[in-house]
Amino acid sequence: MTNLFIGLFLSTLITALLTTRLYRLFLWYGLNSIFLGLAALEQYKLLDDKALLISALLTLLLKGVVLPYLFKLFAIKFHTNRNIPPRIRLQYAILLIPAILVFTFYLIDPILELPGKNYISLSIAALFLSLLLIIEHKAIFAKVIGFLMMENALFLLGMTATGGMPMLIELGIFFDLLMAVVVINLLFEVEHA
Amino acid sequence: MLEYLFLPPLLIFVLSFFDVQKSKKFLPIVSSLILLPTTLLLFSPDHHYWHDRLMIDDLNKFVLLVSAIVGIGVTLALESLRRHVKISPRHYRRFYRFFALFWIGMILSVTANSMGLFWVGLELATLSTVYMIKTNTTPFAHNEAWNYMIVGTIAISLILFGIILIYASAKPALGEAAMLFTTLKSHIHQIHSAYLFEIGFAFVAVGSFIKMGFFPMNLWLANIERAAYYPVAALFSGLLESAIMTGLFRFSSLAKELNQSHLIGFTYIYALLTLFVVAFLIYRVKDFMRLFSLSGIEHMVLILIFWVSGGYFAALLHFAAHAFLKPALFISTGVLESRGKYHIPGALKGYRGFKGRLFQILVALFMLAIISLPPSPMFFSELFGFSAMIDLAKGSHHLLLMLLGILMILILLSIIFYKFVDVYQAMRYEGQEHPKEVYAGEVGALVLFALATLVLLGSFEYIESIGG
Repeated sequence: MTNLFIGLFLSTLITALLTTRLYRLFLWYGLNSIFLGLAALEQYKLLDDKALLISALLTLLLKGVVLPYLFKLFAIKFHTNRNIPPRIRLQYAILLIPAILVFTFYLIDPILELPGKNYISLSIAALFLSLLLIIEHKAIFAKVIGFLMMENALFLLGMTATGGMPMLIELGIFFDLLMAVVVINLLFEVEHA
Repeated sequence: MLEYLFLPPLLIFVLSFFDVQKSKKFLPIVSSLILLPTTLLLFSPDHHYWHDRLMIDDLNKFVLLVSAIVGIGVTLALESLRRHVKISPRHYRRFYRFFALFWIGMILSVTANSMGLFWVGLELATLSTVYMIKTNTTPFAHNEAWNYMIVGTIAISLILFGIILIYASAKPALGEAAMLFTTLKSHIHQIHSAYLFEIGFAFVAVGSFIKMGFFPMNLWLANIERAAYYPVAALFSGLLESAIMTGLFRFSSLAKELNQSHLIGFTYIYALLTLFVVAFLIYRVKDFMRLFSLSGIEHMVLILIFWVSGGYFAALLHFAAHAFLKPALFISTGVLESRGKYHIPGALKGYRGFKGRLFQILVALFMLAIISLPPSPMFFSELFGFSAMIDLAKGSHHLLLMLLGILMILILLSIIFYKFVDVYQAMRYEGQEHPKEVYAGEVGALVLFALATLVLLGSFEYIESIGG
């Protein structure tokens, strides 16, 4: 099941890269986080790590539901343009995305004996694809979603490659994520004051 | 003792909720309190706190002392900020608040033995900077605050990604202790997957390089420092870059144990590319803020290559000298640019009275010290640093290639040297003379940085004892 959820995680990220509408992007981010949370729950069952359970539930609740909803509220509040055409054309994007995926598998090739090898390459691919999402959009909201998807790639790596990071670090990361959202809100408030 | 380090920034944070106009005279005194725990820690033995997650060792004792002086200097300069720029009382209070958070984050990352906590501190410092940039309400500053938010968090995320990869490479052998720098260092050869560690290190290094404005993000930091009020740039160069560099010192020491030639190749190529771009950007620069900012990148490159080449003394001396001289120059820009941002000719003319004359002399000395004219500490650090690089080249299998690299670095540095001399002469001997106001706050800060630089000249033995 973990493989299925991670596959869906990656496919939502790729779809987000090709989307041209803002609310759809929030939706894909929410789904991306939900699949990540479900993969974390599967890993929890496998490893019986309580910290992973807390992280999975926080991901499902905060990143899967609360954050996309909050962003939609922000977008309505600040009358943001909902049309967000990517700067990289579709024909180039569909060449670039598989190239990134192949490159990350090639990068990880020398560590054949490691158990989470495929997950590591998928996490690096997710990181690069999130970077691509940030680069290809002019709209601030799309850039912020790219940044949050990058956080998801980090969580995927932490969960699969290390069998769960220490709880303290994960809480620290969540705290920083929340502070980032507060700062983003502050920036928007000032922009529209 | 470690917990007392957080007390002065916490006090500043609390005071920022009240009328800062009334309390701003006390804020430098509050920030000076940090010298007490820092000095006591300096004379106490190395110690680990909170289940080894935080630590005090020779390296971070030194960095904490340097950054404490920078923190005090910037608080002194903040006292006169409202006389140089238009800032509302609300934003002024917020500036102090986020400055305090920034300082807490920086102390946390410097004292962290856990790679994760190092990252948490760095992230806290990064996010708090966004609002410090935003206290300037111009559209340019607003755009740059967003830029900082996006690029800064990308850099920080790359660092975290690298940390997780390093942790993943060491966890099978070391368990959860693989998160600690000290454990990693003592058991580095037990790591099964050195390749994964090196990929992790590459991510950490690239993230840190982006954060410090290395290739290909050279103008990113300069634009942000241009857009923000000048104390932000002083904090960047004196505190944030110090925290990142301390982390890089620790990570590169680990990478060096695993594969020195990979580390040297990676760092030297990156350093050369960065210096190449930065030297020409400096040559074309037209304002003080960008000049000092780009020169900051040059010095960070030098510190890094000195460190990886084994010139630990040179790297630390250069690090401390840069941490004192650069904030001093950034603070001076508030006065130097009082006739407009792009008025370099005559910028050192028109100062009256004792404060004015003192300011003029100090800025002239700082300008000459930053280009490593003797007896600047940077002269000695570059001397020792380049000799360490040549020693390394002599012991390597690529002697000619490395010597060529060193020669290239020297040529690029000479372009920067030429530009600074040109700017200095224009400031001193060209342009019209206009009366300029200098206030006690910034002069106090400059005197503090000048004294600290002098003390540095007498502390070679102590810095040498810190080692790698």
